[in-house]
Amino acid sequence: MSASLIPRISLTWLLVAQALVIIPHLLHVPSWLIPLWLLCAVWRVQIFRQRADFPPAWLKGLLLLGVTAGVLLSHGTLLGLDAGVTLLLCTFVLKLVEMRKARDAQVLITMGLFAVVTSYLFEDSLLSFAYSLLPISALIAALIGMQQSSFNQRPWATWRLAAGLLLQALPLMLLLFVFFPRIGPLWTMPTADKARTGLAESMSPADVAELSRSGELAFRVEFDQAIPPNAQRYWRALTLEDFDGRRWSQAEFTRQARAPLPDWQAQGEPLDYQVLMQPTGQPWLFALDTAAPPDSAGRQAVDFRVQRGRPIEQALLYRMRSWPEAVRQAQLPSLQYRLNLRLPRGFDPRTRAWAAELSQRFGSDQQGLVNEVLKHFNQQPFHYTLRPPLYGQHSVDEFLFDGRRGFCAHYAGAMVVVLRAAGIPARVVAGYQGGEVNEAGNYLLIHQFDAHAWVEYWQPGTGWQSVDPTYQVAPERIEQGIEQALAEEGSFLEGDLLAGAQLRKLAWLNQLRLAWDDLNYSWQRLVLGYQGEQQMQWLASWLGTVDWQQLGLTLVAVIAVLLVLLGVWLVKPWQARPVAQQRYLLAAERLLATQGLVRDSGEGVRRFSQRAQVSLPAQAAAIKAFYREYEQQVFAAESVDEAALKLRYLRLRQALPWWQRWRGKKNAD
Amino acid sequence: MRSVMSLWRARWQRWLDRRIPAQSEVRLNQRRIFIIPTRQGLGFLLLIALLLIGAINYQNNLAYFLTFWLLSLFLVAILHTYRSLSGLLVRRQVSVPVFAGEEACLPVELVGERRAYQALALGWPPQPLQMADVPANGSTQVELFAHASQRGWLVPGRLRVETRFPLGLFVAWSWLDLDQRVLVYPAPQAGDLPLADAGSQDDDEGVRVIPGGVDDYQGLRSYQPGDNKRRLHWKAFSRGQGLLVKDFAGLAGRDIWLDFAQVGGGVEQRLSRLTHAVLSLYAQSQPFGLRLPGLELAPECSAAHRDACLRALALYGVKA
Repeated sequence: MSASLIPRISLTWLLVAQALVIIPHLLHVPSWLIPLWLLCAVWRVQIFRQRADFPPAWLKGLLLLGVTAGVLLSHGTLLGLDAGVTLLLCTFVLKLVEMRKARDAQVLITMGLFAVVTSYLFEDSLLSFAYSLLPISALIAALIGMQQSSFNQRPWATWRLAAGLLLQALPLMLLLFVFFPRIGPLWTMPTADKARTGLAESMSPADVAELSRSGELAFRVEFDQAIPPNAQRYWRALTLEDFDGRRWSQAEFTRQARAPLPDWQAQGEPLDYQVLMQPTGQPWLFALDTAAPPDSAGRQAVDFRVQRGRPIEQALLYRMRSWPEAVRQAQLPSLQYRLNLRLPRGFDPRTRAWAAELSQRFGSDQQGLVNEVLKHFNQQPFHYTLRPPLYGQHSVDEFLFDGRRGFCAHYAGAMVVVLRAAGIPARVVAGYQGGEVNEAGNYLLIHQFDAHAWVEYWQPGTGWQSVDPTYQVAPERIEQGIEQALAEEGSFLEGDLLAGAQLRKLAWLNQLRLAWDDLNYSWQRLVLGYQGEQQMQWLASWLGTVDWQQLGLTLVAVIAVLLVLLGVWLVKPWQARPVAQQRYLLAAERLLATQGLVRDSGEGVRRFSQRAQVSLPAQAAAIKAFYREYEQQVFAAESVDEAALKLRYLRLRQALPWWQRWRGKKNAD
Repeated sequence: MRSVMSLWRARWQRWLDRRIPAQSEVRLNQRRIFIIPTRQGLGFLLLIALLLIGAINYQNNLAYFLTFWLLSLFLVAILHTYRSLSGLLVRRQVSVPVFAGEEACLPVELVGERRAYQALALGWPPQPLQMADVPANGSTQVELFAHASQRGWLVPGRLRVETRFPLGLFVAWSWLDLDQRVLVYPAPQAGDLPLADAGSQDDDEGVRVIPGGVDDYQGLRSYQPGDNKRRLHWKAFSRGQGLLVKDFAGLAGRDIWLDFAQVGGGVEQRLSRLTHAVLSLYAQSQPFGLRLPGLELAPECSAAHRDACLRALALYGVKA
């Protein structure tokens, strides 16, 4: 029952590494893991100090059962990424107490490396990556410690060695990282069920208000051209075509992947840009109208949104091209036509009556009708606010004619109801509007509080037209942003005092914030976004054409060359010459060998010297002088004096008959 | 199958003999160091493969990062493991003879020039290897033990020097022939010996020597270097009378001859008995001679004589 099989250094580093591995996971594992881990760590230290014993088999079984039950209770399942990671961490912690032999410690280190990788699935920011270097180096130090003797008491030396090894491995790693082909997933893996703020496929005005209080980043955009003005930056995510009197939702028909592609005609100048979006857990991408993905990043859907095959669970970088002046669906298929006129029965009688009146007044002049509705918003005392009153059963009626207080979702929803009631196909578009310009990196930052809803109506011949009723009420919302629109009310980010965007109030802090965001943007774009298309583009721009087979061979060759260089640097063969004293000793003995004097294996230097002095009486003084100098330098641990030894060696050589000197001559150096 | 194995082993030995010839001191270099991944190293590769699958499936670049980092570390570990053996000087040290049945100590000196060496393991498998560290510009003495099962020369064979430092993913090793051997004396075996007189072989009046007999106690004389320390009269010393030795006259006047031909039993038994006699006679400071077939050592009483006798007994009938 001794712990001697795991050296002290290794145990020290294992305990440190375990703490470092677990800390970033604490955000998403149940809190009972902390006491469990502390218990196991203390227990293990006591075992090492021989104050406690290893747990008996029944206790181990009980602990494992308890932990499994705990995971089941906390997560409701044993499957899925979150439960899986919690289980991994629990076994990682329990294994510590059970660790007896070197094998167990190796398993523990392996589990630790696994746990570090899983932490990347939850959090992949620059900071968390930088942090992960700590547990990685500690785990490698523990691996080294396994080999070290138990007398070694210098943990920092071990860590420095680990860090040195990792640094030396860095160039190879970068090569592999850049050139390893990024292929699609082999099979689908469970993903983190993380609560995310963002647009959903169904929303009530309250949901949008909630989003407007979040300072979280939604996506960043970098334009190839100049950044278009604020009022033209309408980022479409999806369209909401189903209305149940309360909520707007995505229509089933539109959501279907099988829906036919819409027809449209590109006109005018396109805009090219690159978007780096934060994970949303939803399949749609963000783009300006009318977007056509230039590559396989996404697919245009029937309502002109851009969609991917699977939800976006990691930061995604994609290129996009938009044609702002395109004509969209000059002909509307009857199914879509009917879909965009549908209204729930029994709601909002006053609105319907007003719409019927408008319809009668304008007849076939539908454009005039739309303008009249916008004028209504503009001229009536509407007020843009994030603190609207609660509207009841006939919410649109109450908003339009009684309360007249609301924000984008209210205005867009009400306008679509009016237009549909008047016989004009219309829908709500959900997305983001505006964005903050980061001068440092010349890109746009779009936050969750930029979430917006606007209106699209259809006219025969001209197709879909976008219109924003909010602009009529609060033009500053569209031209400057939500912060300016709410300046008077002071409700901007009121629920999120710690949001980065709060720092805008201090100029220098704001600069710092934007510079930091620029760094993170580069990290996400260059490192995290280096996938599929980006890799191909990058490699093609460097190498011209990308031939994977040739690339693979080159890569192997380059890695081999790097390894050889590193090996030469490590072993330093040019230093392999024996130290000076050994060199002169060997030379002198070769010299004496020409006289037939050879030191026997096992014969001491002094004894040989005495024997040589006896057999070569003429050179006895020189031999004695050389050997005495040698012994003093080597055995008496005196300072190395190469010159003095060389002098003795030369005297010895001179003392020997000349015809034998040349044989020993070449041996000295 | 066996013959194929032995043929292969013989070939391997011959190849090793050519590549790493016997020397009293060997510097480990690329000609002499072999290296392969350990079981742990293969496990590490498996871990890398699993991480790679995870990275591909999650399309997570940080997971790729760590995967490739570990793979690069694996490759770099080859060089470092090689380096933790390369340049090491292994030197044979003088070993002391032992009696059969004892553990023979075959010390070697490890010299680290320029840099330190850690976690070196030396020994003769399948016996467990002994661990050693060597400081930079210094040396370490390692005492290796081998079981001396029979008299003669104990040649433990090629010495395995290996290391898994730093990561344990690879093992670098070498088989060194330091020409190590140790003399193994026969195991002493007590028993009455007929002691022959010089010249009077046929004298049937044999004298029996009782080993360790105290009957012939002669008195005390002052200590001289070379005297048996077991004979020191400690009581006298503690009384401040100086170092005195209890003197045993033995069978004065007659030289004692230990004669192989006169001892009963098989060859090994005879040698064992003679060994015992040599030791006990020397312990009694009794001059004695040794007669083996083809060898005669004249009576004398000194440590050198004792060692010469023991050596002759150990190597009796052993091919050089």
